[in-house]
Amino acid sequence: MTPAFTREGWKVLRGAWIGLAGAIVAAILIVSGSHWYGVKEKRDSADASRRLQEARAKLDGARRERDNLNESADVFRMLVDRGLLQREQRLDLVEMVNGLRSRYQLFALDYEIAPQRPLPLPGGRVFPSIDVLASRVKLRAKALHEGDILGFMDEISKQRQGFHPVDECTMRRIGSAGDGRLQAHVEADCTLEWITLKDKGANRAG
Amino acid sequence: MLRHFLYLTNSRLVSMATRGKHIAMRREFAASGNGAAQFDQHLASLPDAPVYLFTDLAEEDFRLDTVPHVGGRDREAIIGRKLVQMFRNTPFRHAVVQGRETEGRRDDRVFYTAITNPEVLRPWLEAIERRHAPLAGIYSAAVFSSVMLDELDLLFPHTLLVTFTPGGAMRQTYFRDREIKFSRLTPVDPEEGQSLGTLISEETTRTWQYLDSLRHFGEEDRLEVCVMLHPTDRAIVQPALRDFAQIQHHILDIEQVAAKLGLRPAPLSSTCEEIFVHLFLLRPGQNHFATPEMRRFDTLRKARLGILRFAGAAVVASLGWGAWNLNQAMQKTDVDQRIAQQIQTLNGEYDAITRSLPSFGVGGSTMRDAVSFYNASIRAFPHVTDFAVALSGVIGRHPEVRLAQFAWIATDDANATPALGRVASSQGMPVTATGAAPKDAPAKAPEAAPGTFSSGRYEVAVLEGTVRVPINDFRGALDAVGRLAADLSALPGTSASVVESPLDLRTSAQIHGRHEGAEPDTMEPRFVLRVVRDHRAET
Repeated sequence: MTPAFTREGWKVLRGAWIGLAGAIVAAILIVSGSHWYGVKEKRDSADASRRLQEARAKLDGARRERDNLNESADVFRMLVDRGLLQREQRLDLVEMVNGLRSRYQLFALDYEIAPQRPLPLPGGRVFPSIDVLASRVKLRAKALHEGDILGFMDEISKQRQGFHPVDECTMRRIGSAGDGRLQAHVEADCTLEWITLKDKGANRAG
Repeated sequence: MLRHFLYLTNSRLVSMATRGKHIAMRREFAASGNGAAQFDQHLASLPDAPVYLFTDLAEEDFRLDTVPHVGGRDREAIIGRKLVQMFRNTPFRHAVVQGRETEGRRDDRVFYTAITNPEVLRPWLEAIERRHAPLAGIYSAAVFSSVMLDELDLLFPHTLLVTFTPGGAMRQTYFRDREIKFSRLTPVDPEEGQSLGTLISEETTRTWQYLDSLRHFGEEDRLEVCVMLHPTDRAIVQPALRDFAQIQHHILDIEQVAAKLGLRPAPLSSTCEEIFVHLFLLRPGQNHFATPEMRRFDTLRKARLGILRFAGAAVVASLGWGAWNLNQAMQKTDVDQRIAQQIQTLNGEYDAITRSLPSFGVGGSTMRDAVSFYNASIRAFPHVTDFAVALSGVIGRHPEVRLAQFAWIATDDANATPALGRVASSQGMPVTATGAAPKDAPAKAPEAAPGTFSSGRYEVAVLEGTVRVPINDFRGALDAVGRLAADLSALPGTSASVVESPLDLRTSAQIHGRHEGAEPDTMEPRFVLRVVRDHRAET
């Protein structure tokens, strides 16, 4: 038996064994502590890199948005001015149509404003931030001259307030009684979409 | 590292403590009870230094023998038994296997040595044991002296190394081909009128005679006697040494030997214990005589040192690893700080851009979507009045044409056709055609997806009207309508086709004619045109 493992050996080596145990504990603490710190720093570093990437992406997005918005700001300002993002003011339309009827001396004017609906776009296109809404407006007018009807329709479709694109129109001559009274010679049936946009963000907020 | 060397002779014990490769301390103790007591006190001053005990005693016995050549363990057992048989009364025994015989069974040649009187060592070993001094080994100076031949390049076939021990004795050790074969210790006690040189010469001659009697030499062999002497003794000894054909003397100047071995300062006398110590420091030897029990404190010392070194290595390694890890982490920290600065800069730039963005109380994406919708669906949407004005300009150049009805749609389908109600009728027509379907009959506008808003790429219009021509001038009517269609087609992006002509001349149609009485001067046959305007072709 080696002397190191005799009673005398244990007695002589007790301090050394204690020292070894302490050294091993210290080594484990040092290694595990530094390893923990290293892992933490590595994780922090990875987080920092990720945050840097995110910040770069965010900045790139902001730059792109700035460029896009700078290009479209004027257009958007015009759209806002024309009330595209406002709710339908149906009374305004009624008043406008009545006013135009008087201005263009229409003999008769019938119109229907359908309930507002989401406007389906070609290809089922949708926008992430806005809802496109429209009310279909049908007009039937009679006038002395086709120029009056065309002027009336042009005025409506090119109004400074709102967007009212006319997508169907039929005009025909109508017979006159020939009794000397001033009578309508032209009749028109036209249809337009009264388009407004709704901000989905405002929708959610509301 | 402090080491404690002891050189034991029959008359004294020389204690030498070395630090590194220098002898730091030297003391001598008489081989007596008083000397042992002093040595015991002396040991207390060197508690942990490993003890190397060299013996140079008259009681050392040397023998040569052969054993059958067998495997390692068997050989150890045989040699162990031989040692016990030869030196039954002492634990201090040692054997050196020196190779194999060249003839016969080619047995192993073994050199045995032992301290036959263990009492010589007892007082010193008791002191060592009492003090728990770590005894590293007990070495035979004679056996260890073979190292000296190597270090001093004494490469003779037959060498007799003559050294002097503290206490006045002369050791003669015979080596054949640098293998120890014999050694004897004789006191240096010159008779009256006998010089040291004469003594040496006589003793070496006597040894030669003894070795020759054992048939160690052939006829041509010569014994090279190497005598290690201090320069002060050399002058006395050298004249007395006479060389013969069989004996050649070589003086080894102890100062030169010390210089060659790097021992400083050189020994002050001819005794060679310091040379041995230095040789041992240069080439440590294996223990010869000490038993494991005697060496247990050294074993424990080595174990303790091993454990502490391992512990130290573990701490140092962990510190190194930790430092490396920390260094890596610090580098990452530096990188992180730079990244944090970059992020701060980027965020600052982002904030500046965000602040500079035009704001209309809505998000950027809302603005982008609204503009995108406008550009795609409304900006280029056609106006019916624009189409009608262009149409009117062309019709104005055809005074014979009178428009009765006009149907128009904005669509994405080039084949769509707006619905048309019949208004005009041919007036004063002596000839009409019936029964055939119109070439490009105005049909009701196809049902698009319910309520789908088109982009207005195409404007499709159907015109119904009449053309005034002289009576029966159908050719003129057809030409007039054809010219009108051609003029309309000349508009940018526009194509016009005749759907119903003033007189359907197709063979599938039935023609009716009636001429009676006075006919009017003119007639107004009806026609229908389809006009398509493609805005992309226009651009």
